[in-house]
Amino acid sequence: MEESKAYIETGILELYVLGQLNAQEQREVEAMAHQFPDIREELNAIEIAMEHYALSHSIEPTVGLEKQIFEKIIPAPAQEPSVNSATQKEAIVVPLHDDRSASTIRTLKFSLVACIALLVISTAALYSAHDKLNSANEQIASLSTDREKFAATVSYIKNENKELQEIAAIASDPTWSSVKLAGTKISPQANMMVYWHKQGQHVMVDNTKMELPENDDTHQYQLWAIVKGKPVDLGVFDAQTQPKKLLLPMKEVSDAQAFAVTLEKRGGSAAPTMEKMVVIGSVSI
Amino acid sequence: MAATKKISLTEDDLVRALRGHETIAIQALYDMYSGALLGVISRIIQQSEIAEDLLQETFIKIWNSADSYDSSKGRLFTWMINVARNIAIDKLRSKDFRNSNKNQDIENNVDFIDSQKKITFNADTLGLRDMVTALKPEYNDVLNMVYFKGYTHVEAAEELNLPLGTVKTRIRMAIMELRKHFN
Repeated sequence: MEESKAYIETGILELYVLGQLNAQEQREVEAMAHQFPDIREELNAIEIAMEHYALSHSIEPTVGLEKQIFEKIIPAPAQEPSVNSATQKEAIVVPLHDDRSASTIRTLKFSLVACIALLVISTAALYSAHDKLNSANEQIASLSTDREKFAATVSYIKNENKELQEIAAIASDPTWSSVKLAGTKISPQANMMVYWHKQGQHVMVDNTKMELPENDDTHQYQLWAIVKGKPVDLGVFDAQTQPKKLLLPMKEVSDAQAFAVTLEKRGGSAAPTMEKMVVIGSVSI
Repeated sequence: MAATKKISLTEDDLVRALRGHETIAIQALYDMYSGALLGVISRIIQQSEIAEDLLQETFIKIWNSADSYDSSKGRLFTWMINVARNIAIDKLRSKDFRNSNKNQDIENNVDFIDSQKKITFNADTLGLRDMVTALKPEYNDVLNMVYFKGYTHVEAAEELNLPLGTVKTRIRMAIMELRKHFN
């Protein structure tokens, strides 16, 4: 009893409980505890005191930790590496990842739906924009055609206007003589107007005042001046319903008593075919 | 002492279940002692995340080395506390942990943890803290250095510049005071 009491007094039992002893010292304490029940009891009391001390300083772990620990421990009974335990291990580990991947998949699903919706909207917008662009292009093309037509018309009208002014100027100018050519027997309805500037020797055919049967592709009308009873070639022209020019300049002549037109082969003839003379008119002085 | 017997009876069942790798053992141990073990670990390693990792490691070690526990050498809970403390001290002294915690002042661990953590008191141990802090500070300091800060009693003696015998005596006196309180 005295021996054990002295042993207790050394404080070695407290160090034993606190884990402060080396292996040899531990074995010594254990041997003493085995031999003396009061040492055993003293150790027990010290342990309980320290356990209460630890319990009184408890810190509660995070709620999920318990589950984490059990999941690591329970499927791993190290002694039984059987197929069964291996599959069990997997079966228990999987749900932990499953939870995370399930939420990830859900997020991805939402993202996918959002992407598709966005794609559909974008496609629709693109298609509509493309449509509008197409119609705008068509409009531009038609406007541009219109503009060209308009410009052509304007230039045509300008020319026409210029020529009409010229005709008007010629008509009012006394230095110009207007020669009216009337229809012959073969074409009583035909008539036309020729202007002649004697001093300048200019000869013009007025398309606006021409009523000749339209000539075909192989024939052309030829204007002749009758100079001292002899025909002089003044050039060929076409009788068209839509003439390109209103005033057609012909070859020059300085002296003429009359003008006549015959229908000749395309390009004209050296001498007039008298039986094909459609109009004739003499210069009135 | 009747209460002690009742606990040790429960302990026998626990030890038997633990050795038989019955999951109920680890669940019971967790319910009963996880707070206390985390309390011990957290006073040595303050970072709560690391402390909980170490608590996890502690339970795994308890589970895997249940066979190495010898009930003739001491109580199960004391063994568990020592497992937890050793794991925490190993971490504290590991190179990587030291490098990342050079500016931590080990002296302030207990106060720091107590101010940061909600400590759960049992009804029967309520007032214990007052009692413990009412211990003569020189006793309290030595016990806390060894029990809660990871010092060996030899290191504590060097740190406090005291003879080893004085340190041993103070530890014994502090524990005597605790025992008086619990009886």
